[in-house]
Amino acid sequence: MDVQEAVAESTPVASAEDNGDAKRGGQRKFTMGPNDSLEGKLVYEGDVHVDGHAEGEFKVSGNLDVAQGSTARISIEAANVTVKGQVEGSVNAHDKLTLGKNARLSGDIVVRRLQIEDGASLNGHVRMGDIEQHGG
Amino acid sequence: MGQLYVEGDLRVIGTVEGGLEVTGSVEIDGGGRVTGPVTAQDRLVVGRSGSLLGDVRVARLVIQDGATFSGKVSMGKQVEAPPKPVEAKAVEVPAPVAEPLKTEEPVKAETPVAVAEPVTTPQPAKGQPAKPHQFQPKPPDRKGKRR
Repeated sequence: MDVQEAVAESTPVASAEDNGDAKRGGQRKFTMGPNDSLEGKLVYEGDVHVDGHAEGEFKVSGNLDVAQGSTARISIEAANVTVKGQVEGSVNAHDKLTLGKNARLSGDIVVRRLQIEDGASLNGHVRMGDIEQHGG
Repeated sequence: MGQLYVEGDLRVIGTVEGGLEVTGSVEIDGGGRVTGPVTAQDRLVVGRSGSLLGDVRVARLVIQDGATFSGKVSMGKQVEAPPKPVEAKAVEVPAPVAEPLKTEEPVKAETPVAVAEPVTTPQPAKGQPAKPHQFQPKPPDRKGKRR
C-alpha cells in the first residue's frame, strides 16, 4: 500500500459534534460531509459515514456506510457495510453488505450476508463466508 | 451438468446443475438451487431462500437478504444476446418428468446435443409468453420436506 499517512482535509471530530451524532448508544461515529475529502488509511473504533470523496483504506470496527452521491476509492473492512454511492475497491463485511438502488460497486466482495436492491450495479467477485460447507 | 437455454422468463424452484441462458429474467427462489453460470438479458433475482453458485452476467441483479450467492458478477450494457441454438424449440417433453438432471441418462428426443436435460414445460408456451416456465426436477417430494 503506498498510502501511509492520513490526511484529513476537514475536521471530522468537529463535524461529528456539529451533527450531534458523535455518540450513539456509546458507539463513536465518524461523519464526513458532502464537501469533505479524506485520503489515507483510517482505522476507527466505531461507525463511519463516508460522504464527499474518500480514497485509501478504511478499517472500521462498527458499521460503514457510503452516502449517495459520494465517490470512494477505498478498500473497506467493517461489520456491516451499506453502499448508496460509488465505490471502487474491495469490501470485506464481517456481517452484511447492502447495495442500495443507486449504488455502483466495482471490486471483490467477501461477506456473510448480501443484499442487492434493484438498480444497483456490481462488478466483481462475490464470496460468501458460510458457503464453503455447502460447496458441491 | 448441461446447458439450459430459455426464451422468455424462468423461475427455478428446484435444482439446476449447469448453465442458464435466458433472454428475459431469472428468478431463483422457494428453495431453488443453481450451480453453474447464469446469463440473463434482463434481470436475475435470487430470493431469500434461493442459492446460486456460479458466475453471473446480467443487466440487473437483485439479491435478497438470506440468499446464498457466490461467483463473479458482470453487469452493464455489455450483456449481448446469446447465440440462438436451433435445438431450443425441439425441447418439449410432454409430461413433467421427475428425473434429476444427469447428462449420462439417455435423452429420448433425437435432438442434437446442446440441450441435454429433460425440460418440464407446462404448456407449449404459445399463447402465454407472460407466464414463466416452472422448472421442477422433483415435484413429488417437495411438500414432504425430505431434509
